[in-house]
Amino acid sequence: MDIQQIMQVVDASFAARQSIEKSLREIDRRALNAMVLVKRHGNALAGYGVVAQAFRERAASLKESASHLQGTIAPLIQARMRILQHQRVAASFSTMAQSMARLGLDCAPLKNSQAQSQKFIAQEETEARGILLRLIATVDTLQEGIEEQEYVVTNGRIEAALAEDTGAPLVRVSRDMGEAVRTVSNAIRTYRHQLESLEHESSTYI
Amino acid sequence: MKAAPIFEAGNHRWWILYDQDEHRVIDSNVYVMESNGQSIILDPGGFEVFPQVFAALVEVVPPNSLKAAFVSHQDPDIASSLPLWHACNEQIQWHIPKLWDGFIRHYGALEAPLQDIPDEGGDMLIGGRRLEFIPAHYLHSSGNFHLYDPEAKVLFSGDVGAALLPPGHGAWVDRRDKSGRAFEEHITKAKYFHERWMPSNAAKKDWINRVCKLEIDYLCPQHGAIYSGDNVQRFFEWFDGLNVGTAINE
Repeated sequence: MDIQQIMQVVDASFAARQSIEKSLREIDRRALNAMVLVKRHGNALAGYGVVAQAFRERAASLKESASHLQGTIAPLIQARMRILQHQRVAASFSTMAQSMARLGLDCAPLKNSQAQSQKFIAQEETEARGILLRLIATVDTLQEGIEEQEYVVTNGRIEAALAEDTGAPLVRVSRDMGEAVRTVSNAIRTYRHQLESLEHESSTYI
Repeated sequence: MKAAPIFEAGNHRWWILYDQDEHRVIDSNVYVMESNGQSIILDPGGFEVFPQVFAALVEVVPPNSLKAAFVSHQDPDIASSLPLWHACNEQIQWHIPKLWDGFIRHYGALEAPLQDIPDEGGDMLIGGRRLEFIPAHYLHSSGNFHLYDPEAKVLFSGDVGAALLPPGHGAWVDRRDKSGRAFEEHITKAKYFHERWMPSNAAKKDWINRVCKLEIDYLCPQHGAIYSGDNVQRFFEWFDGLNVGTAINE
């Protein structure tokens, strides 16, 4: 597999992780603001209070799911870099074998080392693909969490419309919540597409 | 391998990558400095530990921000990963001691862009910040440099200050201890390294005289743990009084 493609995914992982962490902090802050607003208005915003509470709980759950992301990215990067290491060694063996062949020499231990090296690369490719599939599953869990959060935001908009006469700025709060969720949703969707394309490439190698 | 911050002021940051997971090769620290979205890696490590160094680096900076690498001397624990880094990022400019150019190329990647540092030292810019190459010849390598960041007051000191610590070690010589006891305990793990790997008392004296004039908040060795605050001066005093080159002296 092309190392430059892997590097693009590594850079995308870094950018996605930063974006997700920042957006989740923002979601948590928005949820807290909503809770404070509800407390300030007492029973008049009881309905919105349920929404704000759900929003905050979902935000905590998203944070938990996102925390598993880094734990899966690091082993994937290590596996890909081990493959790069062994490709380098395999390339040296290949150069040596070609030089010997030009001299009419045949070296059985060298051929054995070449075979071992290729076997190791194949094993690492399989392992890397397994890690990649687990990473995609983690991203899927995050996406599901975001979809639930979007549903909560929609409910929040309805409650905000119903409680408009209280004078509380719920429409703005709901809009801010929606924007924060949309940002993280976009980041995750883009990242998933990049992982999918890497998965497609790696499946052709095995 | 873990990553820990050393210094941060706005968009100017330093990290240490430390406590490697592979114990059959000498444990080495790798440092990263980032300025305005550009980064440099210092003594990027050996071929065998490359995957874990790379994974730890990605914790702190995006790999495409890596514009330069600094190689203090020619040893394999410092630069044998060069061809792998080059395969990942061909844009990295490698700053290496001129004396070792033809030797370092033996690690591979003959086409990698190597910038020779002359014996007298020099400087470079990364992300708009100036870093100085401080000559440290014969400490321990005959062509050897340290790297100084005058703004962060960080001195990357290569093998000077190195200690042989067990797996699971921390990034710092205990910063909370003001009594100097933590330093005294740590330095016992640095003693043999300096006595045996450092060949020249004259080179040691010359280095101490020059480096003592710099403002240093963090002395960052390639093995062991970082000296900060009072421990920097404690280290200079200890090193000054140490007899090195003991394989001959004895």
